[in-house]
Amino acid sequence: MQIFVNTKYDFVKWRFSAVVFSLVWVLIGAAFFLKNGINWGIDFAGGANIVLKFKDKVPMDKLRADLADASIQQYGKPEENSVLIRLPQLGREGDYAGATVAKLNKDLNPESADPNKIDLNYHGRDRLFDLLFTADPDAKGTNEASKKYYTDLATSIISKRSELGLFTNISQVSSVAGVTSADSRVLNQRVFLGSFNVLNQETVGPQVGRELQMKAVWAVILSTLAMGLYLWLRFDLMFGVAAIVCIVHDVLVSLAFLGILRGEFSLNIVAALLLIVGYSINDTVVTYDRVRENRKKLKQRMSLEEQLNLGMNQTLSRTILTSGSVVIVLVALILFGGKVIHEFAWILLIGVIAGTYSTVTIVPAVAIAWNNLTGRTHDISGPARSARIEEPRNEAPARKRKAV
Amino acid sequence: MNRNVIWKVVLILAVLVVFIVAIIPTANNPEPIKLGLDLKGGTHLVMRVNVGDAVRLETDQAAETLKTQSQKINLPALVTRRVNDFSFMATAPAGVTTADYEKVAKDFLGAWDMSRTPEGAMLFKMKTASITAIERDTIEHAVETIRNRVDALGVTEPIIAPESGNRIVIQLPGIDDPARVKDIIKTTAVLQFRLVEGSPGPDQAGVLASVPENMKSEVEVLPGTREDELGRPVGVEYYAIRKNVPVTGTDLKNARVQKGQLGQPNVGMSFTPDGARKFGALTGANVGRRLAIVLDNKVMSAPNIKSKIEDQGVIEGNFTQQQASDLSLVLRSGSLPASLTTLEERTVGPSLGRDSIRQGIMASAIGFFALIAAVLLYYHGAGINAVLALLLNLVILLGMMAYFKATLTLPGIAGIILTLGMAIDSNVLVFERIREELRENKTVRAAIEQGFARAFGTIIDTHMTTIISALFLFQFGTGPIKGFAVTLLIGLFASVFTAFFVSRVIFDVVYKPEARPSTISI
Repeated sequence: MQIFVNTKYDFVKWRFSAVVFSLVWVLIGAAFFLKNGINWGIDFAGGANIVLKFKDKVPMDKLRADLADASIQQYGKPEENSVLIRLPQLGREGDYAGATVAKLNKDLNPESADPNKIDLNYHGRDRLFDLLFTADPDAKGTNEASKKYYTDLATSIISKRSELGLFTNISQVSSVAGVTSADSRVLNQRVFLGSFNVLNQETVGPQVGRELQMKAVWAVILSTLAMGLYLWLRFDLMFGVAAIVCIVHDVLVSLAFLGILRGEFSLNIVAALLLIVGYSINDTVVTYDRVRENRKKLKQRMSLEEQLNLGMNQTLSRTILTSGSVVIVLVALILFGGKVIHEFAWILLIGVIAGTYSTVTIVPAVAIAWNNLTGRTHDISGPARSARIEEPRNEAPARKRKAV
Repeated sequence: MNRNVIWKVVLILAVLVVFIVAIIPTANNPEPIKLGLDLKGGTHLVMRVNVGDAVRLETDQAAETLKTQSQKINLPALVTRRVNDFSFMATAPAGVTTADYEKVAKDFLGAWDMSRTPEGAMLFKMKTASITAIERDTIEHAVETIRNRVDALGVTEPIIAPESGNRIVIQLPGIDDPARVKDIIKTTAVLQFRLVEGSPGPDQAGVLASVPENMKSEVEVLPGTREDELGRPVGVEYYAIRKNVPVTGTDLKNARVQKGQLGQPNVGMSFTPDGARKFGALTGANVGRRLAIVLDNKVMSAPNIKSKIEDQGVIEGNFTQQQASDLSLVLRSGSLPASLTTLEERTVGPSLGRDSIRQGIMASAIGFFALIAAVLLYYHGAGINAVLALLLNLVILLGMMAYFKATLTLPGIAGIILTLGMAIDSNVLVFERIREELRENKTVRAAIEQGFARAFGTIIDTHMTTIISALFLFQFGTGPIKGFAVTLLIGLFASVFTAFFVSRVIFDVVYKPEARPSTISI
């Protein structure tokens, strides 16, 4: 199978409309950002995120009443009974998420006031072990073997919990392998099932948030400059500049998408942007590599516009194929990868598409503008010049071949 | 077959075997590729060590030294006042020359610079080098203590590392009760045995009033718990406690949970030989008085000293079993030299991690098979070549991760599949070039030679740009993103090897130069 063989698209002609299109897109994104403000995630703004899974339906009203300044939203599907609680930054350092979870535990689980009972949806293995070992329902004594027996028992109960997400009924505890009826009796008296389990909790203090913000901005700027520098050294100044413009374009287009979706600005998004900086430039490198190779080879007079068109058409099938293969992978990640990497994969997808698009539109636009400004130094003046360059290949005459 | 090619095939098979062995789980190494906290569940903490605490303590001790040493040579008592964490002021009684005190300072306060205030008081400021040394020691000591506690909790493969800015990064994989673990890590656990003056009571002023006038400057009022006849906590009780600390937690040899007379849990302690001597002297000289057991500036209990005690003691305080065992744990692992403040916490529960692994693997598998299907559809025979290169790439990637003990995170799983998507790029570059050469009527062998030769520079350039951004990612990222960057970097190096070397060898084996092949499936 072959596609895009011997194409003769006049990419250069489209560059003005493409620049306008990109500008409009970025401006729309900017307008969204101006209107809604930047939706800084916890990583940069600081604050706390807590994901709770409830035994029954989420007690939204209670949560809202308990946590006045929090934003509370459903997490995942409704039947998962989970919520994401976001708390704004407090302006001081401390274990914000931990304190909030403790408060919710106190308010939503009245049994937690009894120090002799443990919450099997909240506490861990060690606490359960302590309880079982001291109560010793299976009469194992206080030796090492007994310790191991109850440690194993506590471990299997707690791993059952992580398998289920949380216990919704005490009978689930009794049905864990190894739990005897004597154990069940003790557990029935001494444990209770709290209304929620903590799936995830994060606190980012103001200081760390500020630092991450600075680090993110610098990482994106410096990697863009590093890329431009590398390509300037490998190719020439015109291309270095065009590459930087191209990267800035791809990053801005992806950011505009984030703005339009009102997506959250998180560490993962910055990671995606950094990857876009490095990856979306690949198409441009391949194309320009070919343009450079052609310049050494071509004998006829040729303007930069014609050289660019030739190079882009020659590498077109490769460009489509490789972007296509990354797109396939990203679509799989978007569809099946789960919530945590969803936005990351989306931004990358937009960045990869923008990268391919900018290779055939933005880069030629900048290169041609540069060439015009510098007195058309990148045109090939004709046979007199290329005659000095030796034809590099020297091989046997063509034989019979066949492409399948 | 050409000898050269045979050696290359042998090399590739050897690489394959080495990396496959690295990723096969064994009894000694059940988890060859380490999972990150986001997949395994666990807690990532960044704590600031408030080193000011330790410096302040040193300042107070220096002031105390100056006072006691000058008293020893019968100088009139000084009045000292701490100005900030690292300096204090000492004022001599009116009319007394400061020259003698300065001599004492010279002998005992070598790490301090002295100047004089306009009012004639002496101002002592700790030398910068000493402050730095104290801060460094404090961090080291804190790391050590936290490590002891985490080890005692039985956390496997924790990471406890100091960082710039007086910070400590703590990573605890697989913990299931983060609240308790954080409490244990953060407890300062400064244990002191100090004598009680006056009589305790519910209000602070009353307690202070019960202390004899000459002792008033020697005591401080600390809170404790008020209990009813049955030993149940009913409120706050204040105690006037001597400032002098004769015995501390560092004198303990061991601490463990034991049962009290009524079966309630308490913490039994035994002393080091030196500690036992000090404790014996303290209790022996004060029979009949009350001795307060102070933990983190809170009075746990204040029993009457019935007789001289040397070897062991008991801390009682209405503990639950868990509280008693947590307390004995922190006492065994020693006290923190300064308090800790949480700057960042990221905890992922085990069930969320489980979901992430499932979804990550599922998405990657689907992406991978879609990729293979696309490549086979487009390149036929050469597609098989690309798929083989891709599979080897995957094996090398995972094997290298196992070998370097790199951590696999959720973004890292995305990174693996993304790397494979990108690795195809190199194959495509070569194959498209071969096709072009074929269109120009080259022989199959010449087209292969040229295809690889001409794509090489381009492949290096595209890899370099991505490597540059992966390095920035690594520099920028925290935990999961660092994992992503590592995966990406390894994958990029692997892909140069597979796309360029392995793929070439496969072509050489299938389309042998000496056979002068006339057709190629591409």
